[in-house]
Amino acid sequence: MPVWFVRGLRRGVVTTRYPARPDSSAASLPTPPAFRPRELTCELVDRMIAVCPGPALRRSDKTLVFDAGACTACGWCARVAPGAVASSGEFELAATDRSALVKTIPILGEQQ
Amino acid sequence: MKPTPDAAVTAEKLREQIAAQFGRSLHIRTLDTGSCAVCEQEIRLLAAPHYDLHRLGFFFTPAPRHADLLLVTGPMVRAFELAARKAYEAMPGPKVVVATGACALGGVYRADPFVHGEVEAVLPVDVWIPGCPPSPLALLHGLGVAVGRLAEKTPGLTFIAADEIPGDGA
Amino acid sequence: MTAVEPRAPGGIREQLVRTLADLGRLRAQDGGVITIRIPAGALEQATHAAAGTPGVRLADMFAADGDNTVLRLVWAYEADEPGYVITETEIDGEQYPPLSDIAPAAFVEECEIYEQFGIRPAGGKPLNRLMLPPHAATELPTLGHEPSRPPEEVHAPHTVGGQAFEFPFGPVRQVGVESLYYGLVTSGEEVVDLYLFTWHKHRGVEWRLRGKAVPEAIFLAERAEGLSAVAVGWAFAAAAEAALGVTPPPAAARTRAVALELERLYNHAAATAALCQATGLSVGQAAAEIALERLLRLNASSFGHRYLFGVVEPGGVGRAPDADVLRRELPGAYGELRRVADALLSTNSFVDRLEACGILTAEQARRLGLVGPVGRATGLATDARLAVAAGPYADHPVNVITAVSGDVFGRFQVMLGEAAESVRLITQFLDEGTGADRTLVPSRAGTGLGWAESSRGEVLAWVALDGAGRITRARLRPGSARNWRGFDDACRSQNVFTDIPIIEASFWLTAAGMAR
Repeated sequence: MPVWFVRGLRRGVVTTRYPARPDSSAASLPTPPAFRPRELTCELVDRMIAVCPGPALRRSDKTLVFDAGACTACGWCARVAPGAVASSGEFELAATDRSALVKTIPILGEQQ
Repeated sequence: MKPTPDAAVTAEKLREQIAAQFGRSLHIRTLDTGSCAVCEQEIRLLAAPHYDLHRLGFFFTPAPRHADLLLVTGPMVRAFELAARKAYEAMPGPKVVVATGACALGGVYRADPFVHGEVEAVLPVDVWIPGCPPSPLALLHGLGVAVGRLAEKTPGLTFIAADEIPGDGA
Repeated sequence: MTAVEPRAPGGIREQLVRTLADLGRLRAQDGGVITIRIPAGALEQATHAAAGTPGVRLADMFAADGDNTVLRLVWAYEADEPGYVITETEIDGEQYPPLSDIAPAAFVEECEIYEQFGIRPAGGKPLNRLMLPPHAATELPTLGHEPSRPPEEVHAPHTVGGQAFEFPFGPVRQVGVESLYYGLVTSGEEVVDLYLFTWHKHRGVEWRLRGKAVPEAIFLAERAEGLSAVAVGWAFAAAAEAALGVTPPPAAARTRAVALELERLYNHAAATAALCQATGLSVGQAAAEIALERLLRLNASSFGHRYLFGVVEPGGVGRAPDADVLRRELPGAYGELRRVADALLSTNSFVDRLEACGILTAEQARRLGLVGPVGRATGLATDARLAVAAGPYADHPVNVITAVSGDVFGRFQVMLGEAAESVRLITQFLDEGTGADRTLVPSRAGTGLGWAESSRGEVLAWVALDGAGRITRARLRPGSARNWRGFDDACRSQNVFTDIPIIEASFWLTAAGMAR
């Protein structure tokens, strides 16, 4: 048993200060996308929707409807539209209202 | 299901009550409705040294009678529905239900003969935590939101890249 | 304890193929795996011949729908270069020969096939309920034809001196563990029998994969058993690649291997933490969790995801690891785990709980076809990384770690040995170079078998694609789907209730991998 006591003392504290202070390990977590409206075209958005493995992306006329709750941050939409999709860097996504996770993004790019 | 104005007031009062009662001491029960097992691993790590939820006054309990919050993973497999309802009903009120992970939020499985596709189809959900899986940090944030200690960020998020906000010129 | 078992004499593959081909005909050779079509009348004889060949085991059995149901048996041979041979047989009517009488490892699959396809072994042996829930209200679709009558729920008769009672435990259990139902039969303290059910987590993954294209299918396959995402994704991608005659570029194959070894490492760290929790050693649990968290953060910083989702893609990989970060951080993260292990091995009160607990004999492991550390701890040296066929392990042969005690301690020792091996392998793969490319994958018809060694054991996947490259039948068999059948034998060997969590931690399986 002494081996554990000494080990523990020597190891020190690893506990995060989150939420009081930010935690640097958050920087390497996968996060949902952030879109660039001026780079989005309807055709590009349709390709993103086709490649999305879940129901996170929908298009309603000239609006992209993004359900951050359904997003698994797989990155496939960014892969087919690299200029139009960046990483949001957001991991604090808890919501008390499901609809607050569904966002609309205008499609402002040139139509082909 | 949009809440009626009366229900909205009641929900607000309930949140205040929850913050008053659970804000500093919360007992959490977990419920797996068909996950791939990874969400459970992240939940277990909440009690691990790196995250230590006990320092925030949160505790895990296996006893439904002692639990204040039900942390639910998985897409609500239909064959599990009865067990899910029993687990929920065994908890005395006031209680909070937190659906966690993309499966629980309808992101991985559509509703079909095997699964409901989301927890909300069977249990009344108060807080939704996205992620596949939600990391322990995301879970801590979600638990803080559930007891009213942390502010929600989602209403203010646009998921529009900062280098391009419409109407910003350039 | 560390051993490379002497290889069985060469020629086993030739012997097996010749014996089976004599009874049927060669139907295909996809990616080095021969499929032999055996007529229904010769199936019993073929099964006898294969099961009786030394060095051959029945790795999986499954069916597929067609004009008649087609029954496939996957035989694994352990020769100088281990591999697989598949027999396929069209079953006309409701019955086929009683294969589990010849190869007991097939019983669980016979139950599964009955529920999904309505065909059963001749002889009227009762079959257990497996994936379908008992509630009449749930009408679940099947992969083929529904059974003409529901499966019986027959448990093996047990004799015990005095009264025995069964108490149900679960599916909602203690905090932070998956839902799992045990029927625990006891006469007081000791475990007389233990039944496991996972139908409450059955998401119908194989049913859902039908009609999907391969990339989307990998997304779902990874999430069949998320703690083995790389292994199941790799096995499935390899099955599709074998079907389409495609090989990933060598650098991408090494990337897959690095991810697979990282997955093995974190799972073994998690199992160590679970063993400490089960034995009540909280300090050890905390120390092991520190190691686990470091490994998960290493996964995130090197591959972009704590659980390595999204690495495997058809034809290769979606991303290459940050080799600098891995080289820099891996020794420290593994060192953390190694120090915990050393401290545990010198803690007698911990080791005492593990020794002679949950014993499985090599005979039981062989009879049930157990894989992974569970099988290797009894002395069986099966490891799917040896079944190479020009994969990344060809140039970096794995030292297969075995033990002989077959108890929890043996399994723990195997896991620790494998963790050290994983670090060695990762270093070698990084030195040779990893990449993020993919071979172009055509869209055409084909069938293929894929495999990978997850931390829990051999994962098998088989896929049939139509002319547009969409799935007509996908078979996923994670290591958990094989090894849970050994759990009740392990719990029954003179153990008491408090041993059950310890044995469960030493198996480190998932309910998701069984139920899928």
